[in-house]
Amino acid sequence: MASSTPPTSAPSDRPVLRRDKHVKYWLRCLKTFLPSAYTSMDTNRMTLAFFIVSALDLLSALDSSVSADERSDYIRWIYKCQHPSGGFRGFSGTNLGAATTEENRHWDTASVAATYSALATLIILGDDLKQVRRKETLAWLKRMQRDDGSFGEVMTEGGRIEGGRDSRFCQFAAAIRWVLKGTKSVEDLGVQDINVDATVKYILSSETYDGGISEGPFFEAHAGLTFCSLGALSSLGRLNKLSPAPNASSASQELRAPSSPETLSRWLASRQTQTVEEPDEENTYGDETDSPATCHDRHAFISLPPANLQAIIDPYSKDAHGECNTSTDGTQQRPESLRWAGFNGRANKIADTCYSFWVLGSLGILDGLHVIDREAARNHLLEKTQHLIGGFGKITGDPPDLIHSYLGLAALGVVNTATAAPRDTQPHIYELYEPHVRLLDPTLCISLRAKDHLTSHVWTSW
Amino acid sequence: MGSYADDSKWADIVPIPQDDGGPNALATIAYPDAYSEATSYLRAIMAKNEFSDRVLELTADIIDMNPAHYTVWLYRAKTLLQLNKDLREELDWVNPIALAHQKNYQIWHHRQLLTDKRNAYDGEREFIGEMLDEDSKNYHVWSYRQWLVRRFDLWDDKEIPFVEEMLKRDIRNNSAWNHRWFTVFGRYRPLTDIKHTEQSKQAASFAPLSQTGRTIESYPDSLIDREVAFAQEAIKLAPQNQSPWNYLSGVLREAGRPLATVKPFVEQFANLDEPEKVRSSHALDFLASIYAGEQPTSGPSSADESQKDVKKACQALDLLAEKYDPIRRFYWGWRKDIITKEARATGTA
Repeated sequence: MASSTPPTSAPSDRPVLRRDKHVKYWLRCLKTFLPSAYTSMDTNRMTLAFFIVSALDLLSALDSSVSADERSDYIRWIYKCQHPSGGFRGFSGTNLGAATTEENRHWDTASVAATYSALATLIILGDDLKQVRRKETLAWLKRMQRDDGSFGEVMTEGGRIEGGRDSRFCQFAAAIRWVLKGTKSVEDLGVQDINVDATVKYILSSETYDGGISEGPFFEAHAGLTFCSLGALSSLGRLNKLSPAPNASSASQELRAPSSPETLSRWLASRQTQTVEEPDEENTYGDETDSPATCHDRHAFISLPPANLQAIIDPYSKDAHGECNTSTDGTQQRPESLRWAGFNGRANKIADTCYSFWVLGSLGILDGLHVIDREAARNHLLEKTQHLIGGFGKITGDPPDLIHSYLGLAALGVVNTATAAPRDTQPHIYELYEPHVRLLDPTLCISLRAKDHLTSHVWTSW
Repeated sequence: MGSYADDSKWADIVPIPQDDGGPNALATIAYPDAYSEATSYLRAIMAKNEFSDRVLELTADIIDMNPAHYTVWLYRAKTLLQLNKDLREELDWVNPIALAHQKNYQIWHHRQLLTDKRNAYDGEREFIGEMLDEDSKNYHVWSYRQWLVRRFDLWDDKEIPFVEEMLKRDIRNNSAWNHRWFTVFGRYRPLTDIKHTEQSKQAASFAPLSQTGRTIESYPDSLIDREVAFAQEAIKLAPQNQSPWNYLSGVLREAGRPLATVKPFVEQFANLDEPEKVRSSHALDFLASIYAGEQPTSGPSSADESQKDVKKACQALDLLAEKYDPIRRFYWGWRKDIITKEARATGTA
């Protein structure tokens, strides 16, 4: 095992997260109206609220920029969106108020996605969750599960489950259940639990021939849906992590997934790419013979100088497992050709900021972040999609939007958590991977600080 | 003054304004006035459960401003069914909206509901074609196509020629490769009550799955041969294309055939005797799997040990890390580490 002390000061060309700009961007989102272009996100306002509040928390800017009165107003708004029969609405637009009757109340629905966003935002704001209709929400969650184990988004007339059939709602549902049951079981609360085995089976049936996870049997593997599936498994306590972490359940008969974390990690590692532009202009209809110019994953044919490559490309590192003779003198720089690499969400697609999180978050949940190039991932976010006015765009040159701006920060936060873990096997390059972002729990997608508030304060008061 | 307040057709309706619950609501949006007004009328309409022609106009107006408003779509669907409207006409109305909003989920939910009710699929595959002309990898569109094939039992008809046409246009279209997989193997896994998936809580259920999520099927040899050959032809066209390589190993594993059965083919693109002449990093990866003696399936059939050679597997992984795919050097290094540790443990190194 190489024993050199990892350098703690970054080289001058290591890019910087422009924290002040990001804080400014998010405060604008918090305290002024979002532009009218967000009208198409109206039904998802609770999720936008989560992004805004959680981003400021990740940037350690929430306490300093929100007054006690504002904080209690925010909390009151969230509870105002709580549905009388359990769960939370995504927005206030379907609340019929005094006009509500038995005959029309099914048009005003709680949403599984919004319910998780609401709970997470309350936790981040330091609320005690005492006003949450815990039992009603858990009972509603049970009703939102389909026989195949998946969950819908909303329930309408006659108890019909509506909304996509995919792992997004599995993840939200599993996280809601985890948050609300606390240290007890759902049955202890006098509520019938969801069918956990069925959800695990649904996810197993969504595994694809190329090693990823999709939205259901036979669909195309997708990094976002892979992340959601792993998040669900993690919250349900049914996750197979990457070795060498021992699978505690090897003796038990519990159904777990993914069926092969090793195969899945290969698919996830394959998502890292330097292809950032649509290949249309160079596509080769009719002439598909590969050359470095025509091939989508042409980065694979980067020409590197022949010498001791391990040393050149990882100047700051001791080897991941200490089994190679790697130079750690730190004098050589990473060649420009390997400086940055982002992530795509599916094979032969281009890199996109949100997939940085879906892939890094997936690997974070699996305990597998040592299999990818973290510095290149960071350089991609900070040099290619970080925007001058703060926030992140989807691809280079795009203006920032809430989703990509949040997931860019979350991607940095999840790698922070992995590098801070004592058992981390990839080199500790610096004291912290991204010093301006709090450590993030990838399963809940909130800071470890917020998670600690839940487990150390909220749960103990129940 | 807004357009509804001025319109005598709506004079009987008292709009219900949005109640956002006091100061400092979160994620407030600068709604266009027209949207605020229209949604206030929608609340009033929903409150009285009115289903009428003017509701179709109102919902169309709101959808135009916010096509992701799921309640509006659900309300519109109910109105259409209550009024016994021609659902094919509705689909024709939806088409340009779908084309304009490629990432929208709700439109496809609506479309599936209508097509299911109509119990007919005329025009649907043509429209899918139009959508794929805009974005040949649109996830919603491919998912809808799968649903259509299952719902109307279209396995034999046009699917394979359609996939081959899509791949002719872009051999790297992984969505098309996945659709081929679905078309070839999906029919062996019927979803028992797919026809009613959106109509009731009853949902798709599958042939029993093993612990690993897969059943070992016995497929006709000719089918597997055909798929192997198809992938190989595509690889010859573009060796550095990950899609057909994944397809090839997927087919072999699904059929329980050892990866080593295609070793001579793989060596045309990566041969350890000629490390300077590697034409595909995916071929090297494949070769590493063969030399590592990877199980052909996670099922009961045994691994092919005859080609196992840990040293050569490490050599292939080194080439990937150092020369042909250095972006993933940590991954290749990790895999090499696992292989060497395993070999040491079993005394095969």
